Formats: sequence, structure tokens, C-alpha cells
Amino acid sequence: MAVLISLSVSDMLVTALVYRGLMNFDYFRFLVPGIVVAGLFSAATDTGRRIWLALREGVVQYYMTLPIRTSGLVVAYILSGGLGGIVYSSFLLVIALAVVPHQGIVNALLIIPFMFVLSTGIAGLSAFLASISRRGEIYWVYAQGLQVSMVTISTVFYPAQTIEGFLPGPVATIARYNPLSLAAGALRDSGFGGNPLDLSVLGTLLAASLPLAVSGALAYWVILRTIRLRGKP
Amino acid sequence: MNRVLTLAAYNIKLLLSERNWFFLIWALFALQITIFGSLMSRLVSGKVEDYLFFYSIGLMVITVFDSGASVGRNFVEHAHEGELPYYLSLPISRRGFLAAQALYGVADTMLKTLPPLLGILFFMGRLTVLGAFFAVLALLLLGLGISGIMISMSFIAFKSVDIYSAFIAGLSALLVRFSTVFYPLIFMPNFYSPISLLSPLTYGADLARWFLGFDPQLLLNPILAAAVVTAVAVGTLSLSARIVDRIIEGVKVG
Repeated sequence: MAVLISLSVSDMLVTALVYRGLMNFDYFRFLVPGIVVAGLFSAATDTGRRIWLALREGVVQYYMTLPIRTSGLVVAYILSGGLGGIVYSSFLLVIALAVVPHQGIVNALLIIPFMFVLSTGIAGLSAFLASISRRGEIYWVYAQGLQVSMVTISTVFYPAQTIEGFLPGPVATIARYNPLSLAAGALRDSGFGGNPLDLSVLGTLLAASLPLAVSGALAYWVILRTIRLRGKP
Repeated sequence: MNRVLTLAAYNIKLLLSERNWFFLIWALFALQITIFGSLMSRLVSGKVEDYLFFYSIGLMVITVFDSGASVGRNFVEHAHEGELPYYLSLPISRRGFLAAQALYGVADTMLKTLPPLLGILFFMGRLTVLGAFFAVLALLLLGLGISGIMISMSFIAFKSVDIYSAFIAGLSALLVRFSTVFYPLIFMPNFYSPISLLSPLTYGADLARWFLGFDPQLLLNPILAAAVVTAVAVGTLSLSARIVDRIIEGVKVG
């Protein structure tokens, strides 16, 4: 956790600050909320790594001897991923609020529950990828692919207009409705910018995150059930 | 010498058995350049001429850095998985063992960086034999220096792998962020630029860019950069040889 925090804080206080001098707009103010969301993503995807390790090293067999139902185990994993993401990003949010002038601290606090749902969604997605990674180190390929597709093709690092001016229309649309873009946009506009909360954006964020959490939970549940029945995934 | 080469060849053979990873690294590199690099260069345009090229070489330096760090990590993992005592039982001196590790590091760096570097230079119309040769040489020296730093730090891992991993991750974050990998030194705030001069990546990145014909006004003096990159490579490798020679006995396994 300390390593992740040092990475994100150095991104905020060094990278964002230096890039501000290279651009024609206040990139520091733009990027810092994005780093909070990118941090949430990194912490939530750690769930996938833990599930992959548990499956690979047989720890999951131990879990299944515990007096807890399979569905309980699945829910515990997804919720812990969600909580990990929100604890980590909340810490970053406190630092962000300290270094960036803000006008909507109440809005920032109101966005946190939606970020929790987003975090469980990302944890679910990484759990899904870990569950289908039966072979060798293939999970890390999926994890890298997930990072490139979700973080790089989003408005975390660059404004939507820049993406629309360069990437093809469908990719720009995906970037705009990417849950990370929605969360970063909500934080920028309402948490730091002082605009009222846009309920349609938050609704879309929920609609995009919940299916991810459910699909991840389902995939992990199927794997655990298979292990229970056959003794191996 | 033959024994050093045999051991290095064995390690390189193991490296080549994981060739899918190289394709993945190249693919991720290409994606990072075409999406992130292109979009950032649109935002930066005006301040730094041809920022996409500047960024591409910076990303190449990150790849070299990761490669150098992985040599150090492999060394530590070998120690903790019990392979180190086996290597030390071979009829090869410890300096020879370190030289084999260095050759393995050079091969790893070459495989990871050469194809994407040539690809970038070709697509950007900057491919010259001399430029590419000296840029690769600068990157290799940088990679050796990074490997030396990581192996020198491995004495921490002999006490605790977790502390080593955390320390290396933190150090890596600082070395990269405070360097000129992604932004020229003259655009760094005054309170950061002295720290940037402490990072070997600053010198390696600027030297490689200079060899490839980037605007010298945005770069460090190439003679200074070449001197520092060489000194870091020689200095840290010598240091790692001494450290390993003294403390390698009694490494805890497991």
C-alpha cells in the first residue's frame, strides 16, 4: 500500500506539476482528480492478483475448509477489493484536496459511495480475469490489457475533446463512457470545480460498474464450485 | 571465460524460452506510443518540438530501466529460491558469476529495446545506422548501471525480500518521476531540477536523444551525460561485485 501511495503521490506532486508547465491549460488541476481514480483502479485490481495467487498456490483449498459458504467467500473477496480501492483512493483524495484549490468538498464526499461501487466493479472484473487464467502467467497479460484498455482509453490523462480529435469515433465514445472517465469527470466538475452533482453521470457510473462486479463474482463462484466438486479448477 | 559464457548462455536460453513476454512488451510499448504518446503530444504541442519522439525515447528508457531492475530481481529471487548456492557451487569465480549476470542483463535489454527502437526510428524517419548504434550503446550502459544499483541493493533482500521490493519500487518511482524521461530539464520547476540531476535516467535519456538528433537545447551536455552514464555503470557494477563477494555467504533460503 505504501508503494502504491508513493507512486500516486509522486505522480500528483511531480509529474502533474511538471506537465502543467508544458501545456496551455492547468493540467495539474486536471490530472490530480484523474490520479485519484487511477489509484482506485490499481488498488481494486489487486483483488485479481490475490485470487490468482490463491488459485495457483492452493490457498483457495484452505479457504474452502472454512465454515463459510462459497457465495460468502465470493462476496467477501469482491467487497474487500471494493474497500481496498476506496480506502486507498480516499487517502489520495485527502492529499488532492490539500494541494488543489477546491469548491465542492461536500460533493467530493458524496461521490465516494459511487466510487466504492466502481471499485467493486473493477475488483469483480479483475476477479473474472483471474478466474479464467488457468494457464501459467497469462493473468498478467490480461491485467496489462485491462490497464491499457481502461486507463489509457479514458479521460484520466487527457480531455475528451483531445481524444475525439485523434481516436476513431467508437473508441472516443468508449473513452467517454468508461467508468474511470465518468468518475474522474465527476470529481473534476463537482468535487473540485464546485458544479452541482450530475445525477445522470453518477447513474451511468452505477450502471457501468454493477454488471462488472456481478460478472466477476459469478466467474469466481463458478471456479470455486468447480474446485469443490472436482477438486481442481 | 568459457565458463562465464556457458553460464550466461544458459541464462539467456531460459530468457528466450519466455518469448511470448517479449511480444507482449513490444505490443504494450506500441499501444502506449500510439495512444498515450500521441494524445499527450497533442496537449504538449508548441512547447516541445516533436514531443512524440521525445516521449518514445523516454518510454524506451523506462523499458531499459525495467529490464535492468529485473536482472537485480532475478538475482534476489535466485538467492531466496535456493538456486544461488547451486550457482556458487559451480566451478566459476564470483566475479565470473556476476559477469554472466551482466551478460544476461545485456541480452535482456537488447531483446526488449532493439526491435521497438528500430521500429520507432523507422516510422519517424530518424533511422540512421550510427544514431541507432550509439543510442543502443547508451541504453545498454544505462541498463548495466541500473542492474548494478539493483544488485548492490540486494543486500537488503538478504535480510527481507518484502523490504527490498518496497524499497526498489519506491526508489524506481523517484528515479523515473524526477528524471527527464518524460519532460525536458528546462521545464522542471527550480525546486525539482537539482533532484533530477541525481537520477541516472536523466543522463541516459538525454544522451540517447542526443545521439538520435533531438534538439540539443532541450538536453544536457552530451559529454557530461556520457561520462555520468559510464561512471554509474562501472561504479555500481564494481560496488555490486564487492558487496556480493562479502555478504553472499549465509543468504537465507525461502
